[in-house]
Amino acid sequence: MTPTQPSTTPAPAGPSRGADIWREVTHHGLFWPVVALVALLLACGIASPGFLDVTVRDGHLFGQLVDLLRNSATPLLLALGMCLVIATGGIDLSVGAVMAIGLAVSLTYLDTAPDPSNVGTVVTAVLLGLGVGALGGAFNGAMVAGLGIQPFIATMILMVAGRGIAMLITQGQITTVTSPPFKTIGSGFVLGIPTPVVIAVAAFVVVAVAVRRTALGMFLEAIGINREASRLAGVRSRRTTWTVYVIAGVLAALAGLVYGAPTMAADANNIGLMKELDAIMVVVLGGTKLDGGRFYLGGLLVGAMLLSTLERAVIIFQFPSQTTPLFKALVLIAVCVAASPTLRAMLRGRRRADRSDAPAAPVETVSEVTA
Amino acid sequence: MSAAQPEAAEPAPVDRTPVVQMTGISIAFPGVKALDDVPFRLFPGEVHALMGENGAGKSTLIKALTGVYAIDSGRIEVDGAEVRLDGPSQAQAAGISTVYQEVNLCANLTVAENVMLGHEVRRGPLIDWRATRRRAAEYLARLNLDLDPRSMLSSHTIAVQQLCAIARALVVDAKVLILDEPTSSLDNAEVAELFRVVRRLKDEGVAVLFVSHFLDQVYEISDRVTVLRNGRFVGEHLVADLPRRDLIAAMIGRSRDALAGIEEKARSTITIHSERETPFLTAVGLGRNGSVQPFDVNLYAGEILGVAGLLGSGRTEMARLLSGADRPDVGEVRVQSTLTRLTSPLAALARGIAYSTEDRKKEGIVGDLTVRENIALALQARRGTWRPLPRRQLDDVVAKYLTALQITPANPNALIRNLSGGNQQKVLLARWLATAPRLLILDEPTRGIDVGAKAEIQKLVTELAQDGMSVVFISSELEEVLRLSQRLVVMRDRHKVDDLVNTDDVTTATVLETIAESGAHA
Amino acid sequence: MSTELSADPDVRGDEDARSVVRRARRALRGLDRRFLPVLGTVLTLLVMLGIGQQRYSTERVDFVSMKLLSNLLVDNSYLLVLAIGMTFVILTGGIDLSVGAVVALVGLAIAELFTLGLPLPVVLALGVLIGTSCGLLIGVMVQVFDIQPFIASLAVMFLARGLANVISVNSLKIDDEGFSALAAWSLKFGEGRQLWRINASMLVALAVLLIAFLILHYTRFGRSVYGLGAGDGGAAVNLMGLRPARTRVWVYVISGTCAGIAGVLFALYTKSGFNLTGIGMELDAIAAVVIGGTLLSGGVGFVLGTGAGVLVYGLIQVLIAREGLESWWTRVFIGVVLLGFVILQRVLVVRRR
Repeated sequence: MTPTQPSTTPAPAGPSRGADIWREVTHHGLFWPVVALVALLLACGIASPGFLDVTVRDGHLFGQLVDLLRNSATPLLLALGMCLVIATGGIDLSVGAVMAIGLAVSLTYLDTAPDPSNVGTVVTAVLLGLGVGALGGAFNGAMVAGLGIQPFIATMILMVAGRGIAMLITQGQITTVTSPPFKTIGSGFVLGIPTPVVIAVAAFVVVAVAVRRTALGMFLEAIGINREASRLAGVRSRRTTWTVYVIAGVLAALAGLVYGAPTMAADANNIGLMKELDAIMVVVLGGTKLDGGRFYLGGLLVGAMLLSTLERAVIIFQFPSQTTPLFKALVLIAVCVAASPTLRAMLRGRRRADRSDAPAAPVETVSEVTA
Repeated sequence: MSAAQPEAAEPAPVDRTPVVQMTGISIAFPGVKALDDVPFRLFPGEVHALMGENGAGKSTLIKALTGVYAIDSGRIEVDGAEVRLDGPSQAQAAGISTVYQEVNLCANLTVAENVMLGHEVRRGPLIDWRATRRRAAEYLARLNLDLDPRSMLSSHTIAVQQLCAIARALVVDAKVLILDEPTSSLDNAEVAELFRVVRRLKDEGVAVLFVSHFLDQVYEISDRVTVLRNGRFVGEHLVADLPRRDLIAAMIGRSRDALAGIEEKARSTITIHSERETPFLTAVGLGRNGSVQPFDVNLYAGEILGVAGLLGSGRTEMARLLSGADRPDVGEVRVQSTLTRLTSPLAALARGIAYSTEDRKKEGIVGDLTVRENIALALQARRGTWRPLPRRQLDDVVAKYLTALQITPANPNALIRNLSGGNQQKVLLARWLATAPRLLILDEPTRGIDVGAKAEIQKLVTELAQDGMSVVFISSELEEVLRLSQRLVVMRDRHKVDDLVNTDDVTTATVLETIAESGAHA
Repeated sequence: MSTELSADPDVRGDEDARSVVRRARRALRGLDRRFLPVLGTVLTLLVMLGIGQQRYSTERVDFVSMKLLSNLLVDNSYLLVLAIGMTFVILTGGIDLSVGAVVALVGLAIAELFTLGLPLPVVLALGVLIGTSCGLLIGVMVQVFDIQPFIASLAVMFLARGLANVISVNSLKIDDEGFSALAAWSLKFGEGRQLWRINASMLVALAVLLIAFLILHYTRFGRSVYGLGAGDGGAAVNLMGLRPARTRVWVYVISGTCAGIAGVLFALYTKSGFNLTGIGMELDAIAAVVIGGTLLSGGVGFVLGTGAGVLVYGLIQVLIAREGLESWWTRVFIGVVLLGFVILQRVLVVRRR
């Protein structure tokens, strides 16, 4: 009478323990990304001597690896927000546009300010940029959570219209400003570590604490896996979803500031172009599935490093730099296909026939079917 | 082809060849053998009923015959020749047509398209719509349906849509027509109409496979019956030779005893509440457009209220209004005499109302989360996002319910989707019980689970009521509802038709009669 | 209710008006629900034409003219083809976000292929085939690997952009006599200010429209496309024996092929290839489809409505230009209009439930 369903039993102790540990490690979502990262770093180190050297110069860290870290900051910030949004089963295609808008607003404010080098002014500029990012996120969230519009359409509208808004703010010009305090956001150092890295890590820690130390993470996953079940269990699906889009907007604006600060130029047309791809790649490389549910913040760190290492490797191995997007796209397709359950079933030789609605166990019920 | 007269003696006439012969059919799913060496045959001009409990393998056998499932072993012969049915189009090509319980036609296409698509009349490479519509009208006329072929399918009732599905079956000149639970949402008049059509088809030589859990209908229309139990073949008989008692015995084997004990207990502990007691919840004129007509209901502490009705009668809709899952358009709700607006499931939980949904896969389990997280979900939702449950407290709660409900495996880290249906249901119950509700609404809590878990859940429900919880129990198994409840609400066609106290003279027959009679007045 | 007409002319006038209204109301109620969105589109079109006529007509030249229509079609023939392909996909409840990238890729490919010395018909055929292959890839990812359409088409969009980048990061001029001749060819009508023309792109676009119309309304495949959008993931279509898998893959192949054709038409229009072309073009196509009355959720819509949607899009551009606004305002406007229609669709769907 007990069901014969296979279940997860605790691993047996004894000689097979080692094999079990090996299986757990290799089956962990991050296993392959970490392996790939290490392999790529080693390959780069071999192809380009001195790649792995890190020295201290002028009181701060210096070396190609350090550059790699600095370049990982922007994708990490974008991916942080994107990961949370994807966890709820959505997507945010507007992150690149929000980068541009945030930067445009900040620089335009600085441009019109009497003293752009004043720290107070810079702080205001930064807050303005972040605020605008929050607005963009709020718009996305209202469309998705409030009106139930499909996320890709809602965020795509902001993605396209947003560029127009950025153009409007900068009047079609590339706004340039001179402001050393602002510039350090992108090119300065804190305790020897590049500022962008510090900012990105700080954001990561804040998000990680908010998500894993509270019930937010579990709610996001529940919403992404089964929205209706979560709602019926009392989870505030709408409010939580809206919040997550706002967070993504703020992080995207922050990424825009960090990205544009070194050059101090806001090119509304080009900044953030294709950055959605980078963000999605980092999320996917970090082990989070694109249809939502369980997400892995730790994987974002690996994914961001993997992305910048990939970009660097293209140069080191002397591929033309314009081939980078192509490589990224191929990796994305490969990961999507590999994550597909159909592929796993095919590899295991299952039949095509759809069995997803099969009964769990032969049921013997008693029912007094009276005459 | 003359209509088959049931032969008086042995049930295996050898002088007629079956139009469909299935031998040794086996189909296995991970962990479950759904069909084990099952034979089945269909004779032309005969209505053959396929009977068995939930999970006996009926729908699996049908899906094998219609090409939806591939068979692991055995053979299928149509008209004496072996066939491989890889998909619905092959099955259709072999002359097998199916009408499912959920009308599987396209609501956004016209009647003509739904009937004729796949066999439309063409002029060159393009469809000749005028001729196609004319043909469709002809087929519909054979079923006494006078519909505008240009009208959208969705503009007609389910009963009419089902007849359109049958018309489609006629188009393919089906040798075999499979009717899978065709009467679940039809009233008596519509059922009579359907049977008239089935008899006409029988006369034309079509072999009809009829699946239904309405025993009366089976006896009314079928000539032959095959019984399955636990994926195995039990027997094939002529209906004329098989009294009901024997059919039931064949279907359920000898496991009646397991639940007989509970019934004694439940009925003997009925305490009809006092008229002076205040109900925990009172609903007055509560209703929602397009969902359920305004109804009144009183729910008392320590009492199980059963909700009986056919598929589509509005039971779930009623439950959803009482639990905040849907917002009402009219009416009011009082919880402990205080006027309350149940605007969301969270608001209901705050008032002590918990709702266990009908479809646990779609609305219940959060598949990729662990057992622990599933149990904690509603409790945590009540505390809000920023006040996580302390780990120690959470573990205690989880452990408590793992033992109390005997959930196997007792591993809080297991993913809930790997558990059996019965254990999943128990985890969901734990989720609601963890919020310490005063009112627990259970919608089909024992659907699709094995008899052991079923008995446990029924026992649990009885105990909860005895401890003072108010329970609403919804089930399509009328016997189960009668076994557990002290009072009954009867639903039909989206409105409440009666309140009954579950005294000894209330049986499934009387309830079904109540449902049928209310239709006559409607 | 008496139906006698009174003899009094004033009363008669009122009654006439009332009976007209009554008849109109009855006609509207009898009108199939599915046509309501398209009715909205046509109304929008008429309103815009009306506004344009009011503001921009001069004594000599009407705003609404054959010239306007011809210009609209000449400027937007590529978009019409794109939107037609997109209609197929959206009808099944899917989406194709790769079309803009494919247009860019095809343009660059054409420029490159000509430098390799291949003849015109081969180059054009290869260009279209590039689109077809992209569509096939999406179709396989969606149907065989069960990947969500927006993810699959997003990935192929990145792939197409990546390939375009590889060909060239600069604008490439398309240098071929035959090609230029084709681009320049047109039939001229009228004279002076009223001059209007029909060119090759227009003819291609209209031909595609006609073929699409016939397919969607007069073939089993076309009706299966609608059936796939019925909202059950193709379960009904499967059980009706109408081959949902094949249909779904073909729908993406069609969209890709249309993107390939649109790439060719766009190349004819700009006579160059550029890897940053077409960013946001998929949104334009989706906007045209949605404005044209097709529901994003699938199952309801008309390809002729999409044609009207493209006209609305083109008119927005014309009106913006006439008002002297920068061209990127179009993007903002289209975004707003699309948003409006999407919200409207959403509200109507929720209301119906």
